[in-house]
Amino acid sequence: MWMRRSGYRVAMIALLAPLLPGCGLLIDVVEQVWPVTGNRVDIICERERVQVGLTMEPFRPFVFPTIWTDEGARVTGLDVELIKAMTDELSRRCGRPITPVLHLVRFRDLFRLLNEGHLDWFVSAVATNTPAPSRAGVAYSLPYFYGGGISGITRSSAVIDRVQANVREQTLHPAADRLAATSHALDGLTIAVQGETSAYYYAEANLGANRLLVCDSLPAAFEYADAQTEPRIDVILGAQPVLEYMVKRVRRDWALLTRDNGLPLFLTKAEYGVVVAEESYRLRWLLNDLLLKLDESGRLREMRARWLDEDYAFPRRASLEGLPFDVEKMAAHYVQGTCRLKPLP
Amino acid sequence: MNSRMMVKAVLMLSVLLQPPLTWAVERAEVEETARLLARLLESGRAVIERNQTLIDDPHKGDKGLTPELFEAELVREFRAKSGIDLTALPTAPVSIVIPPLAKELLPVLVQASRDVVRDAQVVINQRGIGYKNFIPATWGSQASARFSKSSHVRLKQTALDARNPKNEPDEYEASVLKWLAARPRAEAYVSELTEEGKTLRVVMPIYYAKDCLACHGEPKGMLDISGYPKEGHKEGDLAGAITVTAPLSNR
Repeated sequence: MWMRRSGYRVAMIALLAPLLPGCGLLIDVVEQVWPVTGNRVDIICERERVQVGLTMEPFRPFVFPTIWTDEGARVTGLDVELIKAMTDELSRRCGRPITPVLHLVRFRDLFRLLNEGHLDWFVSAVATNTPAPSRAGVAYSLPYFYGGGISGITRSSAVIDRVQANVREQTLHPAADRLAATSHALDGLTIAVQGETSAYYYAEANLGANRLLVCDSLPAAFEYADAQTEPRIDVILGAQPVLEYMVKRVRRDWALLTRDNGLPLFLTKAEYGVVVAEESYRLRWLLNDLLLKLDESGRLREMRARWLDEDYAFPRRASLEGLPFDVEKMAAHYVQGTCRLKPLP
Repeated sequence: MNSRMMVKAVLMLSVLLQPPLTWAVERAEVEETARLLARLLESGRAVIERNQTLIDDPHKGDKGLTPELFEAELVREFRAKSGIDLTALPTAPVSIVIPPLAKELLPVLVQASRDVVRDAQVVINQRGIGYKNFIPATWGSQASARFSKSSHVRLKQTALDARNPKNEPDEYEASVLKWLAARPRAEAYVSELTEEGKTLRVVMPIYYAKDCLACHGEPKGMLDISGYPKEGHKEGDLAGAITVTAPLSNR
């Protein structure tokens, strides 16, 4: 019986295939004739839970370190508020309450877990425009955060002067492209980046002549610098909003790299989006729609102001509005790791 | 009155006195159990307080404050405070010092206390992060909540100016706290029957120590490390209380 039905389906596909102009349509037809699995949105609605990934390395103010509250361990930050807002909207769409199940894992593992189907989506200040082969198989939603990008911080005023001099030098002798010119701003400096972040891929692609220290996390880069280990770190590269938050609130002994006019030096600009599996088309449409709604209602702007501009202590926000996470799936303890010198090619 | 009549009268009297006597014994047992539970929670808070510098050390990853180590310190602290060895509890004879209800409930609170430390490992062992909000109060809230879920006795931390709305005092607790606040510091506790004698309430006061004042002291209104406004308290002021609410069955 199964063989006969299966034969019928194959015949139908063979019959319809020549009529179709593209492979995508062919896949759609196969799914209609032979519905293998439900789509991601239906699955989320059906199970009433959405599996969301979040980096365990703190990317303040997007993701703060986990904190203990009267209700247990909680995580908070702009990305956590975004998850809550999106889940609320998702609940309305599904017609039933959807609970976010947070997986706090290492940043580098988020991509793997998404590709393996353990996550429905993840969010952690991820730039939507990072050219890197390791990011194949994922897709991005509409941006929820505009005006991000890669920048640098230093503890030395001499380094700031040197970077500004390098930038001036480049304007006198315009290079063939802006990318090359900007990357020359850091000539001769020792750079630290967190592995597998956008800053890491930027450095790998554009700062080949620099000494590069690859760190397991941003706190590891600070610790390495504090210990004055050789080679000394001149500049830490990373997501500009994260670095700006750090130098304003946590590490006031560091300063952002700036241009002559005092504006931050962006090596590249970026927008941050929600990351989904490439084949989750319907989910991506839905996320785009949710984010557009949040954008049009002004909620995204409010979130940005709340986390970037307001004066607050994150433990209190964690107590009042933080989300619980799956403690069992977290590493026994978060090891911020260390930094290693990347061998020159 | 002959001797037979005398015996009869004594027997009659003992039968008549039986219910109040049983009830009094139960009350005494529940009260002592409540006092010991409050003392055990207080001991756990003291252990967390003693390890606060370690917990907040940003340079250390694995702090070694495992659930097992915490339990060992808790047992030591409680022995020092009450003279009772929790490790010998299963074999200890039932007595006025350790009533049967305490033998049943103290291990439940030890387990709840240990579970909180186990679940907090991911927070405690973060490196590069100092203050983690794992403090006596937040540990105590969770330990009390977990204990109360798994027993018929309710354990709670409360204060007149509670930071956590869930720790707000009820009417009875508020009246006792106000009464305690108006009196000088004392090691005593308050025990009272409520709901027409159906429930026993025990309130054990907690007073501010010097270490607490970094968050609860002066200047009043200034935000502390966790983002709450400081209350402007002084050492020895009433911080709040550990309260125990236990039903009495034999009345």
